[in-house]
Amino acid sequence: MLHRLAAEKATGSFMRERGTLHLADGHVIHAESPDTPALELLLTAGGALSPEQWRQALDAAGPEQRVGRFLVDSGRFPEGALELCHLGALYDAAFFVLGPDGGPARFRYGVEHWLGAVRPVPVVAVQRETARRQELLHEIWPEDAADTEPLVRTRLPLDTRLPRRQRAVLEHVDGVRTAADIARLLGRPAFHTLVDVRRLAAAGIVAADAGIVAPTRRRPRPEALAARPPATSTGPDISLLRRLRNALEGL
Amino acid sequence: MPGIDECLLEAMKLPGARGAAVVDWTSGLALGTVGESPSGDHETTAAETAELARMAAEFPSFAPADGSGWSDGDTPVNDLIVSNRDSYHVLQFVRTTFDSSVFLHLWLGRTEGNLALARIRLGEMARQLVLG
Repeated sequence: MLHRLAAEKATGSFMRERGTLHLADGHVIHAESPDTPALELLLTAGGALSPEQWRQALDAAGPEQRVGRFLVDSGRFPEGALELCHLGALYDAAFFVLGPDGGPARFRYGVEHWLGAVRPVPVVAVQRETARRQELLHEIWPEDAADTEPLVRTRLPLDTRLPRRQRAVLEHVDGVRTAADIARLLGRPAFHTLVDVRRLAAAGIVAADAGIVAPTRRRPRPEALAARPPATSTGPDISLLRRLRNALEGL
Repeated sequence: MPGIDECLLEAMKLPGARGAAVVDWTSGLALGTVGESPSGDHETTAAETAELARMAAEFPSFAPADGSGWSDGDTPVNDLIVSNRDSYHVLQFVRTTFDSSVFLHLWLGRTEGNLALARIRLGEMARQLVLG
């Protein structure tokens, strides 16, 4: 369906259960998903743009579907910065919209999005990137329970050399919040948060609160988060065994 | 105010420039590319340079010492340089006012390229990209 829409240079909203891709002339100009922080939140969370400035831009340029252009032309936000943040939000939402459990799709022709074109992306590029991201997550840690369930700390002692982006995620893990909640709190794309959550899960520091037995160990693993298999240890490494089992099951 | 494409075209004006890209190091996605790429495919190169950038950005060994005025909103590493027999790669981290993990990658021919000039100019371009 998406390929056909791209080929016929369609304009409108491509809707699935987990969000919407907004098309203009067959290109993706924006994407939104309830699973990801909206562009507005990404821009305002760190104080890059005030909520008032955002509202003014929406009021002034929303009806003509050119909020993005207005932000740049009125000097409220630099073009390069807007493109970076916008593309981050677009690919982030598209990852969930086009995900395997997104359900059936429908398309409403003619609907124009209020943001307008900032940096349109070909449909195939969005699809390719979504597939690549799914693979990337799988490589880090093959279980997806931590993507959607409330997250809990395991009893593993914390490695103090944790990268600070992961540390920021970990500080918000409280047994109630999900990865999407944490992404919103940090004003960070949801996929980027998932990458850190899966790394923390692979290291055995965080788990989905769905009855998964927390790994117990006497000593923290050195260099727990390096992108390579854990070093050989003297005792059985439960997280490594779980990974192996999953990899074998996946064959 | 320059956008991603203007920034990349500016980078290509540097002597010896072969190719350039704006890459997100968390996902490995190329947000914009221009010129050639060493692997022949910008996406593959972006994924590989992103892995290197991620390690530099995350491993505490590469971060500045406490008390050096480094704040949490800043990137711990300014730039990365890889040199081989015939070329240089310069990866310049971009500091943004919103949460991001982006860097500029410039691939430079060794004989024509001027590494010192490229570093200075890339630093300026990274600032212009986000500040206008």
